[in-house]
Amino acid sequence: MPAAPFPERERIDARDKVLGATAYAADIPLPGLLYAMMVPATTPKGRVETVAVEGAMQVRGVVRVLTAFDFPALPGPPPTPATEIAYRGQPVALVVAETLEAAIEGAEAVRATYAGQAFVPLIDSPGAARELVQPKKAGNAQAAMAGAATTIEASYVSPAQHHNPMEMLSTTAVWRDGKLTIYEGTQSASLVRANVAIALHLDPAVVEVKSAQVGGAFGQKIPLQRQTPIVALAAILIGRPVKLVLPRAQIFHNAVFRPKSRHQVALGADAGGKLTAIRYDADHQQSRKGTLEPGYHESPPRMYGVADYDGTAAHVRIDTQDPGAMRAPYPHPAQFAFESAVDELAHKLGRDPVAFRLAHQATTDPISGNPLSSCFLNDCLTEGARRFGWERRPIAQGAMVEPDGTLVGWGVAAGGYPANVSPTIATLRVSADGRTRFAVAGHEMGQGIRTVIAQLLQRELDVDPARLEIAIGDTAAAPQHTTASSRGTVSVGAAVTAAAAKMRAAMAELIGQRSIAGNIHRQLATVRRPFLQVEVSTLGPGQDAGALDRLRAGARAAAGPEYPQFTSFSYIAHFVEVRVEPSTRRVRVPRVVSIADCGRVVSPRTAASQVRGGVVWAIGAALREETEVDPRFGGWLNADLADYVVPVNADIGDIDVGFVDRPDPLFNAVGSKGLGEVAMVGAAAAIANAVFHATGTRVRKMPLRIEDLL
Amino acid sequence: MKPFTYARPNSAAEAVKAFAAAGRDARYIAGGTTLYDLMKLGIERPEHLIDVTAIRGLDRIETGGDRLRFEALAPMSAVAADPVVGRDYPVLAEALAKAASQQLRNMATVGGNLLQRTRCLYFRNGAGNPSSVGVYPCNKREPGAGCAAIGGLDRGQAVLGQSEACTAVSPGDWPVALTAMDAAVEVLGPSGARAIPIAELYRLPGATPHLEFMLAPGEMITAITVPKTPAGRRSTYHKIRDRESYAFALASAAVALEMEGERVTRAHIALGGVATRPWRATEAEQMLAGQPLTAAVSLAAGRAAFAGARPGRHNGFKIELGARTVADALMIAARRSA
Repeated sequence: MPAAPFPERERIDARDKVLGATAYAADIPLPGLLYAMMVPATTPKGRVETVAVEGAMQVRGVVRVLTAFDFPALPGPPPTPATEIAYRGQPVALVVAETLEAAIEGAEAVRATYAGQAFVPLIDSPGAARELVQPKKAGNAQAAMAGAATTIEASYVSPAQHHNPMEMLSTTAVWRDGKLTIYEGTQSASLVRANVAIALHLDPAVVEVKSAQVGGAFGQKIPLQRQTPIVALAAILIGRPVKLVLPRAQIFHNAVFRPKSRHQVALGADAGGKLTAIRYDADHQQSRKGTLEPGYHESPPRMYGVADYDGTAAHVRIDTQDPGAMRAPYPHPAQFAFESAVDELAHKLGRDPVAFRLAHQATTDPISGNPLSSCFLNDCLTEGARRFGWERRPIAQGAMVEPDGTLVGWGVAAGGYPANVSPTIATLRVSADGRTRFAVAGHEMGQGIRTVIAQLLQRELDVDPARLEIAIGDTAAAPQHTTASSRGTVSVGAAVTAAAAKMRAAMAELIGQRSIAGNIHRQLATVRRPFLQVEVSTLGPGQDAGALDRLRAGARAAAGPEYPQFTSFSYIAHFVEVRVEPSTRRVRVPRVVSIADCGRVVSPRTAASQVRGGVVWAIGAALREETEVDPRFGGWLNADLADYVVPVNADIGDIDVGFVDRPDPLFNAVGSKGLGEVAMVGAAAAIANAVFHATGTRVRKMPLRIEDLL
Repeated sequence: MKPFTYARPNSAAEAVKAFAAAGRDARYIAGGTTLYDLMKLGIERPEHLIDVTAIRGLDRIETGGDRLRFEALAPMSAVAADPVVGRDYPVLAEALAKAASQQLRNMATVGGNLLQRTRCLYFRNGAGNPSSVGVYPCNKREPGAGCAAIGGLDRGQAVLGQSEACTAVSPGDWPVALTAMDAAVEVLGPSGARAIPIAELYRLPGATPHLEFMLAPGEMITAITVPKTPAGRRSTYHKIRDRESYAFALASAAVALEMEGERVTRAHIALGGVATRPWRATEAEQMLAGQPLTAAVSLAAGRAAFAGARPGRHNGFKIELGARTVADALMIAARRSA
């Protein structure tokens, strides 16, 4: 067990990024490249009757127009142009041209006619189809609630949102010598390979996917992207490389998104003020055939050691594109509701909300009955309260007023997120000439996974960091499991640890009893060995070799948070100060303190950045972001970055980040859990709780806007 | 994206001549911060672009004499940073500095900004084009098509000056400040040069919301003049929006005050973010004349400014927000020394 903390090191890719030298998928120069533009459906639901492409073909520079009729028929919802339109903006055709301008002009000239059908635009529209899934229960919440001395019950709403990473969705496809190479920003290179092969009836062995750098993803780039097989087929049919960068509005309409969700929470406390019963009913917006589970019961049962938990969840199926995972997909909306409710209960009990939470240290998972591998939430709360100066907080609302009438409020909330892991197959080669190459599953989405890998490798082996190549995001380098759900550091941590151990053993065998000076490269040179290469595979706790088969096939192979002997979660506590303007009621967030328990922190610098980014996301979610639908028309109305309001720098104040940095004793050899998602969980509730403390107004929906406080 | 011709004349006279030669589907272009967007969105489809940025000597900022004069091609950022404007007319500097982002203000011109088109979501995102996806009827885009914003998601729409045909908000900040300060606009066109009060530059939507400006075909804004007034120093542009910067106003107020002691002798008030054109709040101005400026009087003036307001479905809050914005702006301006 490496008990010592890791040192702070700078990001290995920071300089290139600051200089603009980092090449993303759409930056790859290719000779003979053609440009494409997608034609979106202009009806919210119906059947394509005709697609007239003649006008487009007359545009100078247009090479080809692909429509549904160019694609093999597939069972199930096709990831290609189709004649059945399930949502506004669905691809109807792809125009390929010598220039981007010609492709756009051609796309504008394609004329489709539709037989429109009635559609259901919103989850509260008539015709929305509610579909319950398996409930999540522990103990007997009904009895516990009946016996409670104090109860609260309230409903909370989280809106539809879009990820909007800076990097647009794009695909560049090359068909050469019977091999298809796809360059695109994805979190799931192997999944893309497998699904493009299915969509186009290809052998997966002839498909490679390269995603060396991703300009932000946040879950948007987990599934197969709608455009990928379409662009790939265009490249195959035309025999030249084809690039498509989707305009932002088409990304809003075709990418996955965070579905709108509704949360009914009831809490009960006994006469001693102990939380004893939780009832929580959640449902969310879902497409007709979508599969994103309404998994909102991940975190609430694992926060406060309450044995009696009664949770239901449902899809509400309407006519929309498929929703998907967006940063902390379940715990963010669930903890907004749950941690707001906890604040409401603490208020009703007359308890300080930090002291109330501290009295509920969790040690076991009521759902599985197993122990939690570690839970240092109380350390997060204690340290956060200390740094924030929480002891100076008056318990009454509206008690902190500036001379100009500004209302100041302090709020707290906590978050939890499953500690997950995926199996890995990794190759480590150390060369006598000073080079090191480590190939493993992982996608660099800006979170800093290359920096994490370098950090781990340098702890384990005396390799030259200046000549270290980290081959990730490339199906040709190693099977590329989806990088998501805060699995990255944990998974590569296992791979590096195993590979380094095997390398040390191989070196020992090679060198025997000799004592050779210098680093590992020098030692190899001394014994005249050009390189040593080891391959390892790793599994999560309780996984068997079947997971490796699924990994190789590009299927889901991850585990967590329930393992055979324990359940693993990361935790965080957020402390927020808000200032509410006296007259026009603008809400400012001048300072936040966030303390995380993510086990052992492997890369302090990128970890702190992850938390700051998560808090910024929560400020956006709590106060600004919502993608809106006009039910008369369907589709998304505010489908651009001007009108989908994310925070700007001027909205962000001080964010003080700290870590418990105590290794998890059970989960893995490094002792780390995950961080990227838990970073934002609960922070939106802390903002709403602070607004309540400032104003006495409890807003139970996101985003909380000026008009809610006027 | 429709092909277009592109000309880059060297003088204003040549530009006007080039426009006349090109015909109806020509557009002048300066910073390009609005027109290119609208072309990508399929809203503007010009046949000819006449780029006026090569014209020399049309970007001067003149602050001597009895008026301010800003030539049309002066970048917004340059006028915002002008020390005299900043000291003597904070309402003008703030209106510019609170618009868009620094990068956009470096490109956009003070003349072009007067002709910025609305940010109505249904107008911008409804042409059914590959860059905008939505298909929404809009009388401004397509006369007679109908208005999707009426009865729709109208949180951002106007509560003043709207018609049965259109509720789109006039988006600018700079035109609002200029309206408060009684500016005039110099234009050059095929029939020569003329000057018009800024109040006469903007139309109400009425039954013809596609007609937004009182400019003849081929007329080009060449300069903006603002009469000097002692109210300039006691002025502010107060802008309330969904984030601290880089957003259009939910409600804004341009205010300048002449005062004797605590008493207002003359008030200039114009409203942004709430009306279909830059909106002069004449009733509020009249109400303030001769009054001591207290918080209660300010709020009463704010309420008077919105006396004729009519809410839609989701934008009723703008009436109270707008009134409080005016009240706050009055108090901010009054605290400044003349």
